[in-house]
Amino acid sequence: MASTQQLKSRIRSVKSTKQITKAMQLVAASKMRRAQEADKASAPYTKAANELLTYLASQGVTKNHPLFTSHVSIDSRLLIVIASDKGLAGAYNSNVMKLYTRELKSDDDEGIKNMTISVGRRATQFVTRLKDTEIIGAYEDLPDHPAGAELRSILDTARDKFEAGEVDAVDIIYTEFVNSMTQTAKIQRVMPAGYEVTSVSDSVRDAEFEPNLETVLEGVAYRLVGAQIFQALLDARASEWSMRMLAMKNATDNASDLVDDLTLEMNKARQGAITQELAEISGGVEALND
Amino acid sequence: MNLQLITLLGVKVDQEVYEVILPTADGEIAVFPGHEPLVTLAVPGAIAVRYKKGDDALEYFAITGGVIEISQTALRVLVDEADHGEDIIEAESQAALERALEMRDNAQDQVELEKAHQLVDRHSVRLKVAGLRRRHRR
Repeated sequence: MASTQQLKSRIRSVKSTKQITKAMQLVAASKMRRAQEADKASAPYTKAANELLTYLASQGVTKNHPLFTSHVSIDSRLLIVIASDKGLAGAYNSNVMKLYTRELKSDDDEGIKNMTISVGRRATQFVTRLKDTEIIGAYEDLPDHPAGAELRSILDTARDKFEAGEVDAVDIIYTEFVNSMTQTAKIQRVMPAGYEVTSVSDSVRDAEFEPNLETVLEGVAYRLVGAQIFQALLDARASEWSMRMLAMKNATDNASDLVDDLTLEMNKARQGAITQELAEISGGVEALND
Repeated sequence: MNLQLITLLGVKVDQEVYEVILPTADGEIAVFPGHEPLVTLAVPGAIAVRYKKGDDALEYFAITGGVIEISQTALRVLVDEADHGEDIIEAESQAALERALEMRDNAQDQVELEKAHQLVDRHSVRLKVAGLRRRHRR
């Protein structure tokens, strides 16, 4: 049995670990809340873009637009993989990588050429080790609201490849944030572009399009695809923080259990030592009396 | 009329206004209540908003392009980024613009050049908006 001293120092170390995981849990909780709010905030933008696209599609202009044209057969595709920069987020990264590997394998089986853009250091580390994909972009340390240069750069790369015919489809692999208990790794097609059919208000139907429908479509389509990628990035972030929060909560609970066990063991050891000492003393007294 | 300035980060403005001046490919257009329904694209520049008739004060927002949707009673602008003039710090924008210009001059390849051009556009718009606001205060 370990000595009381040793047990005491172990308890101290477990307790300080627990303090750290507890702090990380709280940080993750507040980050998750903020990420969730941001996730919701982009909804009006997507809705407005969907409405315009629904109308434009009803006018038949989407048929000739390269972003909306499905390629006859898919010979190559681009995967955008979104994972986190840091670990300690439970199964977050491994779930994404599992899905990614499955997609790569199915591409391999069907002879589809593959390119990858990775977002997050963990994703980059994973992808660079593989040999059956070509990495064409890697993004790390994205800000909390990656709406600016980072988003545009991902979007432009994907669009250039798609419109030039280098890839026939662009898919995005991310973790969907269903609610704070459920997050699932998911694959979504962003090019050829899709949109949700919504009702069109009269003001859009009566409107004049300047300079023409095609030019406006160009602007709207680009933004809608951007919004979809942005949404995926935000979802991934909200999921990451909520999984990290859960992982840290489990770690804190485990630390508490461990402290309880160790305390019990320490008390036993201490009691044992006392009992032994008493036995020795009374044994000594007995010996003197004899 | 109701003005909605919608960005990916949420709705920036949603309120009644009297006049809005928007930068488009064919130049600036001013929109008053009762405008013909129109859908067009905005180019990088400044959106100026006059809240009430007879107001002298205009409020500025720096935008980097977007889609404008005008109806008789409402105006909806989908923009990539909208920064309120008052949130822009002139000195910072100036420094950022200089950095972007330097990056453009030293660009090694097409990709870098393209990125630098975007940054130059963005920061010169922001700087312009900051300047407009200052003139206005005097």
